[in-house]
Amino acid sequence: MDRNWIIRSTWFYNVNPALKFGVIAALFIVGLFIHNLNTMIWLTGCFFVSYLLFTGLAKMISFWLLFTAFILAILSSTTMIFFGKGDHVLFQWHFLIISEESLARGLHIGLRTFLYTVIGMLFATTTRPVQFFYSLMQQIKCPPKYAYGFLAAFRMLPIMYEEFYTIRAAMKVRGMDRKKGIKARYTKIKRYAIALLSQSIRRAQRTAVAMEAKRFSETSGRTYYYIMTYSRYDLVFIITIAGLVAAAFWLSVAFPFTPYTNVLE
Amino acid sequence: MSKKLKLSDILVTIVIALVFGIIYKLWGPVSTVLKPLGFQIDQLVYGMWFMAGPVAILITRKPGTALLAETAAAMGEVLFAGQGGIISFYYGLAQGLFVELAFLFFRYKRYDMLVTVLSGFGAALASLILDIGFGYIFELAGWNLALNIIFRFIGAGLISGVFAVVLVKALDATGVTSLVRPVSKDDYDVLDQ
Repeated sequence: MDRNWIIRSTWFYNVNPALKFGVIAALFIVGLFIHNLNTMIWLTGCFFVSYLLFTGLAKMISFWLLFTAFILAILSSTTMIFFGKGDHVLFQWHFLIISEESLARGLHIGLRTFLYTVIGMLFATTTRPVQFFYSLMQQIKCPPKYAYGFLAAFRMLPIMYEEFYTIRAAMKVRGMDRKKGIKARYTKIKRYAIALLSQSIRRAQRTAVAMEAKRFSETSGRTYYYIMTYSRYDLVFIITIAGLVAAAFWLSVAFPFTPYTNVLE
Repeated sequence: MSKKLKLSDILVTIVIALVFGIIYKLWGPVSTVLKPLGFQIDQLVYGMWFMAGPVAILITRKPGTALLAETAAAMGEVLFAGQGGIISFYYGLAQGLFVELAFLFFRYKRYDMLVTVLSGFGAALASLILDIGFGYIFELAGWNLALNIIFRFIGAGLISGVFAVVLVKALDATGVTSLVRPVSKDDYDVLDQ
């Protein structure tokens, strides 16, 4: 996440990044087994509220990211709503058949997409990439060449973007971006890809050689500049997430919004 | 020669993945525009999202780089709050694994059109498997599901198969790939002449 967009720090920042990622990755698996629309509604509600409470992101940026996530969620639900299987037909127009079942299932998929985008944003906006990779090395014993490889590569992103804009300006000046259509897109993508790839590969190769020349090695007993450990925040984090999931399950039984307890039926 | 990835292989692979991250931003609107039509037309361009893996392994020609490239692209999505977040992480991981399997099937000896197209199909298969769990695609009307699968495989074969090979051929012409590729038997033969 762009550091300039982060305006405040919440206790989510103090949670061990590797553990935070593990918990969030596990949540995805849990979500695959939820077929109850009510549970999905409450779960999305719970995590949406906790995102608003704990994110460090500036409000305007946050709004636009959520808005894009919302549009994406709607788009991902439309196919199922329009063309899904179902017996209780609500609306029909040629191939397009909206049934109660397909509508419920479509909403379920849309909510699921939105939920995991929000959870992903909660992670991204409260985790510093550098600390994440240091944590991977120290807590999960990820080999340093991978972690530092990632860090060095991410550091090149701004340079790559700058190059991208340079290429774009160069193409504009030569009038190469006027053509429209799929074929023009294809040639455009190819031109960008070759220019960006060749430059980036050269740069990456040089950086790797430079790192090894400065004695970057795989020796055991490496010391770290940032020491990442577990703390009491990790326990609070796990309890919070477990509590949110449990609350969503309980609320879906106590206050169901819809009659659809299994969207697969 | 060691089969393990060196720092330079890793760095080059991750950087390739990040370049694709930028290209995806160009491609994203194409897919989104096609989506609301509903007849699964967007599946034809879905293959673009599989491309980082095949391209990375075609350039570096080392076991494991396809998986690493897809994971790196997915990790980037997660860390920079890209579209989909943690969802793309799992899709990236599964796709990378299946691309890798295609090359493994030929014992990392062949890096031609056939294997690359197969690896594209592999990635399409991986994404479909996840779609069963995440997107309930089996609950779509039969004809719609069939369109989805056919279009996705066509797109995957064309974009992450044929286009990937064409792209890497063009990169070969720039000479940059010889920086990272392991020395082949042909290179030794040249020395013997």
